Amino acid sequence: MNIIVLAVVFFIMLFLKSSSLAPFSNSSFSPTISLGFILIFAFLVGKTINRFKLPQITGFILAGFFCGPYILKFLSIGDVENLQLLDGLALSLIALTAGGEMRIAELRKNMKTIFSILIFQTVIIIAGFVIFGLLGRSFFPFFAEKNLAQGFALSILLGTLATATSPSTTIAVITETNAKGKYTDLILSTAVIKDFFVIAIFALSLSLSKFLALSGKAIEADVMAMVLREVGGSVLLGSLVGLGIVLYLKFINRETAVFILGVAFFTYQISHGLGLHPLMICLVAGFFVENFSSRGDSLIQAIEKISVPIYVVFFAISGASLNLEGLHRSWVLALIFVVWRGILKFSGTYVGAKIAKEEPGVQKHSWAGFISQAGVALGMAVIVERAFPEWGGEFKALVLAIIAINQIIGPVLLQRLLFKVDEAGKKQLES
Amino acid sequence: MKAIFAFGLLVLIAFLGSQFLFKRKKLFLPLSYFFLSGLIYIFLGLSLGKNGLNVLSAGVLEGLNPLISLGLGWIGFIFGFQLEYRYLRRFPQKYVELSLLQSLFVICLVVAASGWLMRYIFPSEPSSLLYGMAVVLGLLLSLNSPSLLKFASSEIPQKGNYYHLARFLVSVSGFWGIGGLALVASFWHFPFLKSSIFSKGLVLLLCSTIFPVFVAYVFHFLTIKKTSEHDLLVYLLGLVFFASGTAAYFNLPPLYICMVLGITFSNLTRIQEKLYPLILSTEKPFYIIFLILIGALWEFNLDYKIALLVVILLILRIVGYSFPLRPLGKILRFSFPLPALFGLCFLSSGGIAVAFIVSLKLIYPFPLIDVFVSVALIATILSELLSPWALKNSIIKLDTEK
Repeated sequence: MNIIVLAVVFFIMLFLKSSSLAPFSNSSFSPTISLGFILIFAFLVGKTINRFKLPQITGFILAGFFCGPYILKFLSIGDVENLQLLDGLALSLIALTAGGEMRIAELRKNMKTIFSILIFQTVIIIAGFVIFGLLGRSFFPFFAEKNLAQGFALSILLGTLATATSPSTTIAVITETNAKGKYTDLILSTAVIKDFFVIAIFALSLSLSKFLALSGKAIEADVMAMVLREVGGSVLLGSLVGLGIVLYLKFINRETAVFILGVAFFTYQISHGLGLHPLMICLVAGFFVENFSSRGDSLIQAIEKISVPIYVVFFAISGASLNLEGLHRSWVLALIFVVWRGILKFSGTYVGAKIAKEEPGVQKHSWAGFISQAGVALGMAVIVERAFPEWGGEFKALVLAIIAINQIIGPVLLQRLLFKVDEAGKKQLES
Repeated sequence: MKAIFAFGLLVLIAFLGSQFLFKRKKLFLPLSYFFLSGLIYIFLGLSLGKNGLNVLSAGVLEGLNPLISLGLGWIGFIFGFQLEYRYLRRFPQKYVELSLLQSLFVICLVVAASGWLMRYIFPSEPSSLLYGMAVVLGLLLSLNSPSLLKFASSEIPQKGNYYHLARFLVSVSGFWGIGGLALVASFWHFPFLKSSIFSKGLVLLLCSTIFPVFVAYVFHFLTIKKTSEHDLLVYLLGLVFFASGTAAYFNLPPLYICMVLGITFSNLTRIQEKLYPLILSTEKPFYIIFLILIGALWEFNLDYKIALLVVILLILRIVGYSFPLRPLGKILRFSFPLPALFGLCFLSSGGIAVAFIVSLKLIYPFPLIDVFVSVALIATILSELLSPWALKNSIIKLDTEK
């Protein structure tokens, strides 16, 4: 039935977007149709693809990718930009969920492993990309066209971006599979904490790269201070937001879904205004509610009530914004980097888990949970493009191509892992 | 201010406002209905709009267009979803006939009287435009809201024939008004106002009726199997967005298209009980958002022309609902008399009228529309303010006397 409905919705959209109807139309309402279409279409593709044991979010992303401005053009670049307004809302809800799923006791238990994996992944991946950059100078024009200092800077930045994992995708797959257990906790906590770690490392790498690539540019000494200020402010604001949620749930506890939606929305807007990290604020808020009150379950239930349509649109739009032109231009190099990143992720996770004396299963398999990439890596690529106008555009195109591939295979690998280690469905069983 | 921030602000006000709307008692105190019915939000919108603080500027309002069309669609869907045949058939057929004839009478009266009057008030405007607007005003006046009766039910001591007949009439009258709007929007389609061709109008009308029926079948097929609440919400939101967006894209009223979607789906599906809490919980916030938006869109202007039209419309409303009742009651052979006094309980037009006015502004973006929006809004606000008093002096009196 889903396939028939998919085909029907598809042909209606094809008809509506046909040029013969253009004289009748008022284009300012195009985003409304696009939103309705992508919501239904992506959701049905997700459901259909789920039958083949693939995660629904891969379906959402693929639906967005094919309907986006580069292939079927059901969504124009303008539509995608308009609908990206939902990103902040979705990311805040995702971070609130992630915070609400993290418990102090479990974090404490895994702390050693988390930091060991974090450090070794980062060191091995950045070193691996620097080596690749230096050795690859003779083979790839992308590196060969740059001088040694520029090539070095480029490799460091590529390595830093390769370290990033998408916490939103990780949370979405974990939520979808109802997973619970050691691997789930480890992957989720590492992905979330890594996000902040990567931002700090990126700030340092960017500063170092500017020093190397743009002669005469001094290393910015206040980078770390800025990062610390951002983290400190976010933790403080996040705790206040968490306290507000607890008080609301305790004393009012009415229409909680709308309230949480409002909190997510305003937190995102305010954090931008204050130059703080919205993801971290919401994460801390969720963490606060879960660990310092008895209202954690109410929070998660309220989010679950409203989150599905927002997640569908969020992932579909992230699929639609994957730049096909970039992928087309540099797909060979991107594919090589994806494979190389996978090898380095495996090595970093293996060494980190081994040093933390984790069981062999964790050492061998947990790397598969760190492949997906999205928002943070994308944002960093944009910053690099602005910082290095000479080769930044080319760099961004390559990174977008890498993200496109990782974002499609990442959720699949994570879902397979959760089934393999028998943690998928455990949460539902317990409840 | 960015549209997204304005959206957040609207959601916040709607959320806070819905906690109080229709929740206080003592309805019949002077002016209390002004606050309880949410009319105050129109003035809040006016003060936030370009005539006030300019928080909801023209640019922001344009950015909120998708929200406006979704809201219209949502209200249309909620209205249509409640028109379930298995409930409607419990009422005698003459109730439906009375509803149709009453609406037709009001529309014809308003078209004849205001159309004639407007030729003198706006002599430089083409008469086709003025009669078009007169039809639209007639359709607006044919709308009634069930909110006041629902809200006042606890204060009505005896609920007799008049109360039940009135509940039926105010619940279904929107069908004729919204259906009429679709007719007008199709045959008097905005980009082709001057060169409207009958066949084009017919095609538009057929499309705007068949398309939502088709979408309703899609919705039904998706929900035939056991569907979780999350899935249901995605389908519902997606299809209402899709249908209302398509309507607005072709300058047709989302209210009508989504009403047909709602009617068709509610008569196909068996999951009404599951869907009702989901859609009804959103009714009040959407209503408040609309009141604020229409306030912000309002080019406030009160010259003698507008004041004259408002007074005429108020008189026409009272006459139109009261005058034909006695003869219609006799023609349709009602078992109890329908005195003219009974017509007073049809003064309230509530949220559906506000959605209708927003629709007008959306599908007819020509300059003179602002004058008609002003007339429609002021007339709606005044009749809304009069409605509790009118209700007290009609149904309560009639049912008690009986």
